[in-house]
Amino acid sequence: MASIQTNIDIAPATNAPTGSLLVSLAPLASDALEATLANLALAFPSQTVLVATPDSAPNLSSGGPLRLLPYTPTAVSTTPWVLTAADYLNAFALVQENQASACLLLGAESHTLHPEAIHALAAAATTSDLAVARYNLGPREGLVNSAILYPVTRALFAARPRFPLAIDLGLSSRMAQRLASEAQRFTAGNQNDALIWPVAAAASANFTITEIDVGTRTLPQPAAPDLNSLLAQIAGSLFTYVDAKATFWQRARTAQAASPIIQIAPPEEHPADVSSMIDAFHIAYTNLHEIWSLVLPPNSLLGLKRLSAMPPASFRMPDSLWARIIYDFILAYRLRTINRGHLLGALTPLYLAWVASHLLLISSGIAPEKHIEELAAVFEADKPYLVSRWRWPDRFNP
Amino acid sequence: MWQQVELALSQSAHRVLFKLASFLPALVALFLAVVVLTAIGAGLSALLHRILTSVRFDERISRNQVGSVSDWAPSHSPTALVARTAFWACVVVGVFIGVSAFDAAYPGESQISLFVLPYLAHSVGAIVLLIAGTIIARFLARSVLIGAVNAKLQYARFLSMGVKWLVLVLTAAMVLDHLQIGGVVVELAFGILFGGIVLTLSLAVGLGSRDIVSRSLERNTDLASDGLPGDPESRSSMSETLRHF
Repeated sequence: MASIQTNIDIAPATNAPTGSLLVSLAPLASDALEATLANLALAFPSQTVLVATPDSAPNLSSGGPLRLLPYTPTAVSTTPWVLTAADYLNAFALVQENQASACLLLGAESHTLHPEAIHALAAAATTSDLAVARYNLGPREGLVNSAILYPVTRALFAARPRFPLAIDLGLSSRMAQRLASEAQRFTAGNQNDALIWPVAAAASANFTITEIDVGTRTLPQPAAPDLNSLLAQIAGSLFTYVDAKATFWQRARTAQAASPIIQIAPPEEHPADVSSMIDAFHIAYTNLHEIWSLVLPPNSLLGLKRLSAMPPASFRMPDSLWARIIYDFILAYRLRTINRGHLLGALTPLYLAWVASHLLLISSGIAPEKHIEELAAVFEADKPYLVSRWRWPDRFNP
Repeated sequence: MWQQVELALSQSAHRVLFKLASFLPALVALFLAVVVLTAIGAGLSALLHRILTSVRFDERISRNQVGSVSDWAPSHSPTALVARTAFWACVVVGVFIGVSAFDAAYPGESQISLFVLPYLAHSVGAIVLLIAGTIIARFLARSVLIGAVNAKLQYARFLSMGVKWLVLVLTAAMVLDHLQIGGVVVELAFGILFGGIVLTLSLAVGLGSRDIVSRSLERNTDLASDGLPGDPESRSSMSETLRHF
């Protein structure tokens, strides 16, 4: 991409005006950085904005609204595809140093964000504590988020943002401080790549949350896309957070009202090939049944038995079964029924079964978002099940 | 003659009763030592349990450790592990003291403790080896089972059982060697058995993983012909791929 003169100053931290907006960028390649700066200049044509980047600052002409702030990160993250504890700690350090009133945290590949989306996020960050991006993804993207992260966050924390682990966030200064204090517990133990859950943290602190539709965006992918280890990492982090915030989510509360965006999608021309996922589930059902029986109650095991007997064309996992499976796994994670690594490994084939079921459903004409919203509603309706099993785990032990 | 027989019988009966009578105090000393130390162990265990529960030992351990002790501890409670360890340590010490007391209380010059105590120490080591080996075997078996299932290997259960028995056979050989039972026979039998299991597993993995290797090669070939994942040209084929994240 051609270099664009964006009228950027390189600002020393001490001269930064108070009450300004700080934009914290992830490490970007030079052309991506230039593109991002160009988008920022378009998003904030008449507003002084501090742009902090861990990369070396490009040599550009002076004068203009953007003030570039190269910095050395306090903590370094080696996981660029998701925001980690190190990112939140660095962001808060920058907010503090520059006395910014709001902070925009933009993840990797931020040059694909539209200037309007950036502006909307920034505007939301000045009026609410947490502004979360909502991405327009295809039906085969963000499946872990659709299957686990969104339904669990919505049901337990009564927070509706569609992407609880979004990589583009707008934070107020107090939200940045709160996330940094949570991040510090991990970075102090040299766990810079630990995941933080901003939506759940905001909900548990009774902070205001706004969701901004940012349209399409290229989401960075993990360097080594091993589903087993990544699912274990993300699900394990979420389950740990749920365990830590048990006193909050056990109190009944209703989610903030919102109008979900439901699109009527035509059936896919090329339905996804789910045979490998169904095969993986069948292999797992044969071999892992004993492990699942340590975690799941008889009803869920019966549901899985019926699922294993279904022909591939009509392979359909009921939403209620999936919700109870996730809740039982969360409980087993807390009780350490089996080794946590083993528990999360045993979840992978069940997740693949859900994905296969979801893809077959949407290939029949059901809108993907409609199914996800129905699934989230089932998670909400089944929350009392989790609460009762959490409080009285000995009342029913599989 | 019958008088001599009667005299011999009464003298031998008297000797046996005398030996038994001199044996009893030593036995009582052994029994008392074990009982007293067991009672002390039970008290110490209860005290430790109460102290560790009051300082929330379990929660501190689970918060501070990544690979947690809780996964290995009985009832997933490090407190229970510490308490039970203290109890059984007191029982073992009681047995050692009891054997020494038996030796001291037993009249005569036969120093039984010189033979019994080292063997008791070896026995304790063997029991610890057996427990550790069993735990490791079960953990590894389950890890291999889950890993093999997620790798869609049809023989996952076979692989898991092979690993489990491999570790158990190794543990049994180490225990028998530690107890100095069997000698060369055990070593030879272990070598043959272990080698047989490894050979069987190697054949199973080698023959069974042909599909995985060929799939992996096909995948590498597809990636090379379709171009880099970021290329626009590859998007038509990539559109059918799933993105879990």
